[in-house]
Amino acid sequence: MAEMWISMGPQHPMTHGLWTLKVKVDGETVVDTEPDLGYIHRGVEKICESRDFTQITTYCDRLCYASANTWSHSYIYAVEDLLEVEVPERAEYIRLIAIELQRIASHLMWLGAYGPDIGNLSIMVWCLREREMMMDLLQELGGSRMHYNFPRVGGVKRDLPHGFAQRARAKVSLFLSRIQEYEALFDESTIFLIRTQGVGYSKPEEMVNHGVTGPNLRAGGVNYDVRTAHPYSVYSELDWEPPVERPSIKGADCYDRYRVRVEEMRVSATMVLEALDKIPGGADTYHEPGDPAILAKAPSRAPEGTSGFHHFEDSRGESMFYIAGGGESRGKQPYRVSIRSPMFITIPYASKCMVGYKVADIPAIMGSFDPCIGETDR
Amino acid sequence: MGKTVPTSVQRSAAESMATAISTIDGVSAEVSERKSGTSPRSVVSVECIPGSWRQLAVNLRDEHEVDYCSMITGIHWPDGSPEKNWEVVYHFLRMGISDPPVSDGMVEPIVVDPTGVSGKQVPLEIEVSVPIPETREPSVPTVQDIWVGADWNEKETWDLVGIDFEGHLGMRRVLQPHETPAGFHPLQKQHKLRYHDFEEMYDDAQGFLRKPADAGKIK
Repeated sequence: MAEMWISMGPQHPMTHGLWTLKVKVDGETVVDTEPDLGYIHRGVEKICESRDFTQITTYCDRLCYASANTWSHSYIYAVEDLLEVEVPERAEYIRLIAIELQRIASHLMWLGAYGPDIGNLSIMVWCLREREMMMDLLQELGGSRMHYNFPRVGGVKRDLPHGFAQRARAKVSLFLSRIQEYEALFDESTIFLIRTQGVGYSKPEEMVNHGVTGPNLRAGGVNYDVRTAHPYSVYSELDWEPPVERPSIKGADCYDRYRVRVEEMRVSATMVLEALDKIPGGADTYHEPGDPAILAKAPSRAPEGTSGFHHFEDSRGESMFYIAGGGESRGKQPYRVSIRSPMFITIPYASKCMVGYKVADIPAIMGSFDPCIGETDR
Repeated sequence: MGKTVPTSVQRSAAESMATAISTIDGVSAEVSERKSGTSPRSVVSVECIPGSWRQLAVNLRDEHEVDYCSMITGIHWPDGSPEKNWEVVYHFLRMGISDPPVSDGMVEPIVVDPTGVSGKQVPLEIEVSVPIPETREPSVPTVQDIWVGADWNEKETWDLVGIDFEGHLGMRRVLQPHETPAGFHPLQKQHKLRYHDFEEMYDDAQGFLRKPADAGKIK
């Protein structure tokens, strides 16, 4: 049969955003693929060059609409490396709580979107119900629902509000009990198993060489995590281990990538509970915004010839900012800001994973890698 | 207490790698102490001339098992010294990933205890800076075939900064539209943000005599 190219996207339920996947098909079989990105390129890196270090945080929030908090923290750690700021320990704990709550919310958004991709419609409502609890908690911290602008250079915007610890414990414990419901809904659904098991195989060595990290890599049977390999924040103080899956002989399939994310939500939830217990000063004390306990003094200018960068475990893989400071002539602005988006590297790899499978498997494979176009196109 | 890689182990691994790669011509490496929050971290910082870059890359991959290319950043320094008018900064991680073994038809997941790693299993951060002298057509050799992860990073760097990668297969625009004029790379410093070159078009299109808030400031 003759081969032909078809375009999936820019508007297509599979794409989870605005991009095109060009697929070369031979009948129903995928022969070749070519992703086409850049539909929502906003030029964030150029915009950052004319903003103060403190103003850039809001732009980083908007890189990813499902995981805003991890992105602004990713930037903050890089700029603190550049400006050499010591962060108070209490602020680090508050950050950890915020990051892990956001990770749960992001994975829930993924799970809620992945269900409809492969014919399980009710899971979306279930996941968004629990995501709402995480959003409420994050809203108490940051003040808004999606783009929190929570971290500051040297600390965090606000302390944990009154009663936050109690509400967080209640909601996170409730969430932990509800994860079992998702597992019941997914793992016992024959349609879900048929569509995810045995498609989209990927092996760890190949994934690392292609630059794929995070949950997608851990699904392949290795426990690499930036949070343990290059520890930042207070992850070394907490008792936790990155979850790891047992893949099949051919590598990790879509089902393994689903499993590892569900486990990761469990780990994040227990981490939040532990951090609330261990936070120095107690979770119930409240400091006014700007108090030295939650916000250290930070220089606003970077000396000439300095640079800062930081590897960060985002919900989708290893994200990173590289910031070059420009000296006095630049004032409070950076000379160059460069953003490493995990999905920008993962999408070409995921597209190659589809070769050899059927057209109907494309949504299942692509969705399992958790694409987010906001950060991909920057 | 959580299981993380001890900082002293990371430090000594970084030092031995820095001494080993400094023997290559045109390469100078040192260990820089950086801090992330409260925990110190050691980074192997390497300076390399474009001519030696390919040799260094192969050496990193084969001898030091650096298996992951994280990011490639291109920087335009029009006011910099003639030897460093452009710069390409590479960030690598040594992850020590291998495929899990199979026993009795079952895959055994590799669970590394980060507190007990040694030798070439120690995770490391590597930063390589390749300065390029003043030229209108900056380029460095590609590492696309060594780390496939560098592929789209290099495409992006050419697209936005205009630094070419010799030997790169399939170079094309990735973030900007395909019909972008040849030679237009927005992150080069001669391109100013906002209205600077489009005063007639945007600045007073409706006759309001608006000025951008940062008119006249150096960008």
